[in-house]
Amino acid sequence: MRRYLLHRGWQSAVTLILATVVVFIGVRALPGDPALALAGEDRSPAAVEAIRHHYGLDQPIWVQFGRFVANAIQGDFGRSIRTGVPVSSMLRTALPVTVELALLAILLATLLGVGAGVLAAVRRGKPSEWLANAMALIGLSVPHFWLGLLAILYLCVGAGLFPASGFVPLREDPIDNLYHLVLPTVILGTGLAAVIMRQTRSAMLDSLSADYVRTARAKGLRPRTVTGRHALRNSLIVVITIVGLQLGGLISGAVVTEQIFGLPGFGKMTIDAVFQRDYPVIQAVVLITAAAYIGINFVVDLLYSVVDPRIRVAGEAS
Amino acid sequence: MSPIRTKRRTTRSRAGVALTALGLAALTACSSVEPDSGSAGGKGDDALGSTADASAVKDGGTLTMGLSAEPDMLDPTLSRSLYSRYVFETMCQKLYDVDQDASIVPQLATDLPKTSADGKTVTIPVRTDAVFSDGAKLDAAAVKTTLERGLTNPQSGRVSELGPISSIDTPDASTVVVHFKEPFTPFTAALADRAGMIMSPAALKKYGDDFANHPSCVGPFKFSKRVPQNSIEVVRDPEYYDADKVHLDKIVWRILSDAGIRAANLRSGDVLVADTISPQDVGELSKDSSLDVLQSQSLGYQGVTFNVGNVDGVGTAPKPINRPDAQQAEIRQAFEYAIDREGLVKAVFAGQYDVACSPISPASPYTSDAVQQCRPHDPEKAKELLEKAGVSMPYKISMLESNTPDSLRLAQALQAMVKEAGFDLKIQPVEYTSLLDQQDRGDFDTVQLGWSGRVDPDANITPFVGTGGSLNVSGYSNPAVDALLDQARQAQDVKSRQDLYAKANAALAEDNPIVYLYRQRNITGVSKDVSGVQVFADGIPRLAFAGLTK
Repeated sequence: MRRYLLHRGWQSAVTLILATVVVFIGVRALPGDPALALAGEDRSPAAVEAIRHHYGLDQPIWVQFGRFVANAIQGDFGRSIRTGVPVSSMLRTALPVTVELALLAILLATLLGVGAGVLAAVRRGKPSEWLANAMALIGLSVPHFWLGLLAILYLCVGAGLFPASGFVPLREDPIDNLYHLVLPTVILGTGLAAVIMRQTRSAMLDSLSADYVRTARAKGLRPRTVTGRHALRNSLIVVITIVGLQLGGLISGAVVTEQIFGLPGFGKMTIDAVFQRDYPVIQAVVLITAAAYIGINFVVDLLYSVVDPRIRVAGEAS
Repeated sequence: MSPIRTKRRTTRSRAGVALTALGLAALTACSSVEPDSGSAGGKGDDALGSTADASAVKDGGTLTMGLSAEPDMLDPTLSRSLYSRYVFETMCQKLYDVDQDASIVPQLATDLPKTSADGKTVTIPVRTDAVFSDGAKLDAAAVKTTLERGLTNPQSGRVSELGPISSIDTPDASTVVVHFKEPFTPFTAALADRAGMIMSPAALKKYGDDFANHPSCVGPFKFSKRVPQNSIEVVRDPEYYDADKVHLDKIVWRILSDAGIRAANLRSGDVLVADTISPQDVGELSKDSSLDVLQSQSLGYQGVTFNVGNVDGVGTAPKPINRPDAQQAEIRQAFEYAIDREGLVKAVFAGQYDVACSPISPASPYTSDAVQQCRPHDPEKAKELLEKAGVSMPYKISMLESNTPDSLRLAQALQAMVKEAGFDLKIQPVEYTSLLDQQDRGDFDTVQLGWSGRVDPDANITPFVGTGGSLNVSGYSNPAVDALLDQARQAQDVKSRQDLYAKANAALAEDNPIVYLYRQRNITGVSKDVSGVQVFADGIPRLAFAGLTK
């Protein structure tokens, strides 16, 4: 197990370093100049040059990279070129919003998706399967932004049930915080639930037709035990993989939902930074996203070995 | 709730303008610039809002405004975004302000500035009863510190606005004397914008370039907090010199970049004010009895700029470009004749915006009939000019365009219009930051872009067409125009400036480096739960003295 952890840890570190280098170079390869974007309407060549100098953008790229890495190791990501606010403080406000939204959405999606997936597999060919399949198809095909707009139109403007925008931090008022996140969670969660449902259903169908399930049934186990303890547990590998991938994606991918509901999250920050060529913010965001992906994948791998001991054995043998 | 101030131009007067314009066109058929029917004076229905009626509003409460884009640095010297000015309006007062007629009125100054006979010395009387949000007193020395910072900070966005200042004196605590190397009339208008926002010298000393995160000026409100990408909050400053006029406790700006979402939030009551309402949403919102829609004509413009000499980048000496439209003004004139501005505005902006034919807005005191003259839509004449220019038809030309949906619709409408006259317009959609880069480098045939507009006309013309101007992406250079603009910048009275700008504009129309298309309107949605919100021609929603209705 230790060797396995070391091996995975080493892989993760290399991936993170590569991601940093690629982003650092990639963002500078984009057409457009952050100094020009900042100078906007009031730009004069002298002012643009002064901005470049102030943010060290006139230095050779390897000097800029060295400075970035040295500061990032100490947790200092510099200041946003656009707003002058320290990037670390932007991350401190944006990250919790997105992480909370992502976790709530994943929780909702897993409960809905696994539940519906199991139901569809067990009740194969019955109306409840059709219903679950139809819901999944709708969940997959209807774009988030449209659902979000409809929700705002009917539930916020029309019925006045939920706030149309805004966010209250969890530590300020947990109830109000959840109230503001209900709609974004549902909008984001339903699409994911559909993906999870489809995967759970097909994995469950495989499991349910496997020999060990027939054996379990032949032994006279209760159907619920057969489904829950034998078939579902073996299908969970797939579900965990999907949830892991989706969670990583959500950290940077909740953009649309955040934009629609005016949530001050990570996705919105990323998009704005890219449009403004706000290098320090983009670099920090990508670094954190890459770290999150790697961290989540790491946890997912560990979970595999908890769920399926064969993976652990294979890892040790390598 | 007090009524909205409305300037209404009747249908009859519109028809009158059209008839007069047609008459003029017949009379001046030989001149190349003719008035376009339906353009000219062009003020539509302005609804600027009214001041709060003290008996109708309650004291206290929070006003939340939906903001279409995030402000940049909250530092008047460094700020370059229009949206920062929205926030400054409540917490950083200026020496001068503009009123509903776009005229300049004192704010932190006690009177309009006195200019010496040679125009080189400007004396500004300053309030002495005001304190900064950090408790320090406003005086002439603080004004001097701010102006000098605007001139000397390497990243300052104010250098060109402040003009050729040689020195600043403060003979006493309430008087600032500014000496210029040469007369510079736009100075007063600059003081009615960020250059005139006086910052606390103590805060400047303490925070330096980090002032943006701890702004301290004189204002009815003071900075409270900022959540980047999301919101900015200011709270009432009890020490404000005119505190009785302030009703609200707090103002919050929430950034909601999508126009549809902003409108939905306005209707759901989550925000009480929303800026930059989409022309498509105006009809719907006007019908909502719980909302008012404020409109003012902007001082800026949108247009198509031709690259006539920008080879080595903006600010460098113009060089000849080997393309017929860069060399022959007739082709650029033909392009303008091919455009039906009224049709364009109707098709793309639901008829909510005004057509524009010059860099000077009809909302500006410096407008004149001459300066609003327009080439009419005349595809035949356009074809004729193209043929005369001897180019092969259809004449191929490309246009850089920002890749937002509205801009692309505009580009497509233009493409269809000029096709009729023999132009094959290729649209090059580019994301905005890349577009800035490309246009400044001179890597384009034409570019469709606009300008948000400033109070003094000089700032709306000279940087764009003056030789070596900081925004002269066209690479245009005409010594005669430069001379006229120089004179206009130095002239002291409105009438002579009007005449000079009309002359400069006529010369520009002949060369036609920029084809002006339309002027956006500042459209602001306001809930009837709030009273006293006003929007003037500078486009900045004035929230500071608003109040929640009882």
